[in-house]
Amino acid sequence: MNINIIRYILGLVLKIEAGLLLLPAIVGMFYREDTFSAYLIVATLTFIVGSIVSMAKPKNTVFHLKEGCIATALSWILLSLVGAIPFVITKEIPSFVDAFFETVSGFTTTGASILSDVESISHASLFWRSFTHWVGGMGVLVFLLAIMPLSGGSNINLMKAESPGPSVGKLVPKVRSSATILYQIYFGMTLIQFVLLLIFKMPVFDAMCLTFGTAGTGGFGVRNDSIASYSVYQQWIIGIFMMLFGINFNFYYFFLRKKMRKAFAIEEVRWYLLFIIGATLGIFLQLGGMVSGFEHKLRVAFFQVVSMITTTGYSTADFNVWLPNAQLILLLLMFSGACAGSTGGGFKVSRIVILLKAFVREIKSYIHPKSVGQIRMDKSPLPEGVVKSTMVYLATYILIFIVSHFLITLDGKDFLTSFSAVTATFNNIGPGLSEVGPMSNYASLSAFSKLVLSFDMLAGRLELFPMLLLITPAMWKNTHKQSKHDLVSLF
Amino acid sequence: MFNTKKKPEKKPLKIIIVGCGKVGRTLVDKLNQEGNDITVIDQIPERVEEITNLYDVMGIVGNGASFSIQTEAEIENADLFIAVTDSDELNLLCCTVAKHANCSTIARVRKPDYINEAGYLKEQLGLQMIINPDLESATEIAKLFYIPSALEINSFAHGQAELIKIVVEKNGLLDGKTLSEVFTNCKNDDEKILVVTVERDGNVIIPNGDFQINADDKVTFVLPKRHRRAFLNRLNIQSVQLKSCMIIGGGITSFYLANQLIHMGLEVKIIESKPDRCRLLSELLPNAIVINGDGTDEILLREEGIDITDGFVALTGIDEQNIFLTMHAKKVSNAKVVTKITRENFKDLIDSMDLGSVIHPRTITSEAIIAYARAKRASLDYNNIETLYHMYDSRVEAIEFKVDSQSLATEKPLKELKLKDGINVAFINRNGRIIIPNGDDKIIVGDSVMIVTTNTGFTTLDDILN
Repeated sequence: MNINIIRYILGLVLKIEAGLLLLPAIVGMFYREDTFSAYLIVATLTFIVGSIVSMAKPKNTVFHLKEGCIATALSWILLSLVGAIPFVITKEIPSFVDAFFETVSGFTTTGASILSDVESISHASLFWRSFTHWVGGMGVLVFLLAIMPLSGGSNINLMKAESPGPSVGKLVPKVRSSATILYQIYFGMTLIQFVLLLIFKMPVFDAMCLTFGTAGTGGFGVRNDSIASYSVYQQWIIGIFMMLFGINFNFYYFFLRKKMRKAFAIEEVRWYLLFIIGATLGIFLQLGGMVSGFEHKLRVAFFQVVSMITTTGYSTADFNVWLPNAQLILLLLMFSGACAGSTGGGFKVSRIVILLKAFVREIKSYIHPKSVGQIRMDKSPLPEGVVKSTMVYLATYILIFIVSHFLITLDGKDFLTSFSAVTATFNNIGPGLSEVGPMSNYASLSAFSKLVLSFDMLAGRLELFPMLLLITPAMWKNTHKQSKHDLVSLF
Repeated sequence: MFNTKKKPEKKPLKIIIVGCGKVGRTLVDKLNQEGNDITVIDQIPERVEEITNLYDVMGIVGNGASFSIQTEAEIENADLFIAVTDSDELNLLCCTVAKHANCSTIARVRKPDYINEAGYLKEQLGLQMIINPDLESATEIAKLFYIPSALEINSFAHGQAELIKIVVEKNGLLDGKTLSEVFTNCKNDDEKILVVTVERDGNVIIPNGDFQINADDKVTFVLPKRHRRAFLNRLNIQSVQLKSCMIIGGGITSFYLANQLIHMGLEVKIIESKPDRCRLLSELLPNAIVINGDGTDEILLREEGIDITDGFVALTGIDEQNIFLTMHAKKVSNAKVVTKITRENFKDLIDSMDLGSVIHPRTITSEAIIAYARAKRASLDYNNIETLYHMYDSRVEAIEFKVDSQSLATEKPLKELKLKDGINVAFINRNGRIIIPNGDDKIIVGDSVMIVTTNTGFTTLDDILN
């Protein structure tokens, strides 16, 4: 394994994070808070360490899929470790495990929090919390690819490891240009939402943080009751933008290139919209007397549906008191997740569609045992390998789920709490049901459970395999020899 | 905060390549290295996937001749369309369909059936270039037989100037001489020659006047074509044309080669194991001797006179067999031997073996296409680059600049110019006359100048100055 290139990438990631940490420092200075110095110090130290680590450029810049996966997994862990330090220094989250959980939750756009009183936190820290959503939404390494001329064609392996979805395509031949286009779209949409929220009279700071949370489909709010206390229009804007950020970004690329037909031909997007309409209708009908007024009912149903399917996790109502069937719809949406190639998490709509089609084909093969069937997506046949890997993904997904659930129940919480805690973190949503529901938080869990859930969040965001590779012993076989050799060659 | 060195980036070409076979892959490798935007199309998903995993290119699975697939590859924005699938007809069809967009098209066509129609096809189908790897390889081999002691001959300036690579013999005329001695030995201006590169122990050196040539160096000279024979005679290098040649393997390349050698007046013997193929060859080549037999059979080879033949070419489809045949021929005869190597694996190892001249058909094909792409790209940005060749696996660039305006490098004797290291001004082409420059020559406006350099990435003539 090419340890040197991984070291180099980690160094660059640190330097990027140093740059990112300056923003909350600026916010802190603006609001004249003492916390800004914590961010400034951490940023400076991170930059120094990052510069040292990435000082020597590796001669061999080729990396394969395994290096891509390992670099991605390590980068995300490192980002979270460093990002957690300011919370501890400012004593806003005194326990490091808690701070780590909170930061992982931020970067993986989960939005699960251990803070019970968000409103007591300083502006700088609130900003940092929400900003990690925005950074994690599109991915740090995609950002790295957009700004860094990493030579060698194999850098697609970095993008593959970080981007959500069963098959990662590029928009244009170059990885770098693709990454740039993605960030441009991302940035543009973020800006539009921000401006719209300002027009509808949201305070600048709230607008900024909520836009970050929506864009990254994260879910950290700045008020204790999440979104419930904002005005009707503001809720609609956030709801609609959540839906938009859950759409495959290829859609916007085609849209901008004026290829409408191609954009609307993306099957996954159609299914995604269909899921949203169906679920909204289902919940709308079951709200009954709990909410009054047509618009209000529709808004509550729609908001909660898009919040769950995009795995954002904002809430405008306490769905803990909804009818069981409505709650189940939300739980199912948590598993479905958003489109591949969006900022959302979860299992991904495209995978569900592929599995459903494979299921139909299997049934048919019992009727016509010798029939030959091709699964089609976007009107073209899907390679059998993708179908196979989707099934393996499902199996792996269930396996990790079961193991995590097993470990969490050691904490002694009731079934619904532990089940929904794993669901909500593994799918990067945030609030679960019962004790970890929208109006409470994860603070009551043990440190061990928090670490397990942190792993789940990272595994969910990075599509399972990078994190699994990290704990596979065969991966690290002989690497100590290699790294010794690499180190010797450095000096 | 990021150590990004800003290079003057050339605008990348948008290139579509149909066919991800061996040639397709070599093309992707080379063109991608130069920073072009590449989209590949192939019918076989695995092949596409393999390429997109290895290189920073976009892959599309489908038939490259289909209009909708071409549209998906955004052919309307493409600069160059290259069809290199196995099938000639598909390649031609691809390019015909691609004509709806306004881009240059290149097709690989290698069947002998079309050899005489290449010009017609090119014109009628609006192709920029028809590539025939077998024919090009054959021509390359035939050229070597014309000057048997040369390892490699490249033509420049519309064939007016040639780069000839030879091995320095022990105790020969050149052994132990410095370059300035070689140079001053020339009596009159017309006989001037210049050593542009020396390859020693695998390293490429751009030598200066004090450089001493040793035995076993591979030395590349530049000289005007018209002096070739005189020059070789002076160096006591054998320049007598060969009389007979033995070709093992009866593929398409063999046919083209035999055809050319027969035209040059050689006696050609082809050994091929498939009876059908033999019959076809004897039909097409009435003047060749076609032997039906196993070319790797030592007894057969001796019977057919491997020890007395002047030339021996191993052109079977299997590289390993070709290598063995050549080594055998080197042992039992004094023939000029040529080996065909198709695959590019173990290149270092093969280079270190004594196989005489080695022909890489794939490299020949891709080099021709890449030279076209480079010139096209260069002409988009820098219209004073006429041609650009890569030598020694791209370690050395040979660039032909057109000098159409005054610059810091013009109107001054070359010895007064402060050149960067690793640069040789190989020749000046003044109105079609090739001048091999010495320190007193000047570059003037209207010339074309060939620069041979180990520094890559020059864009204007001024780049050669310190």
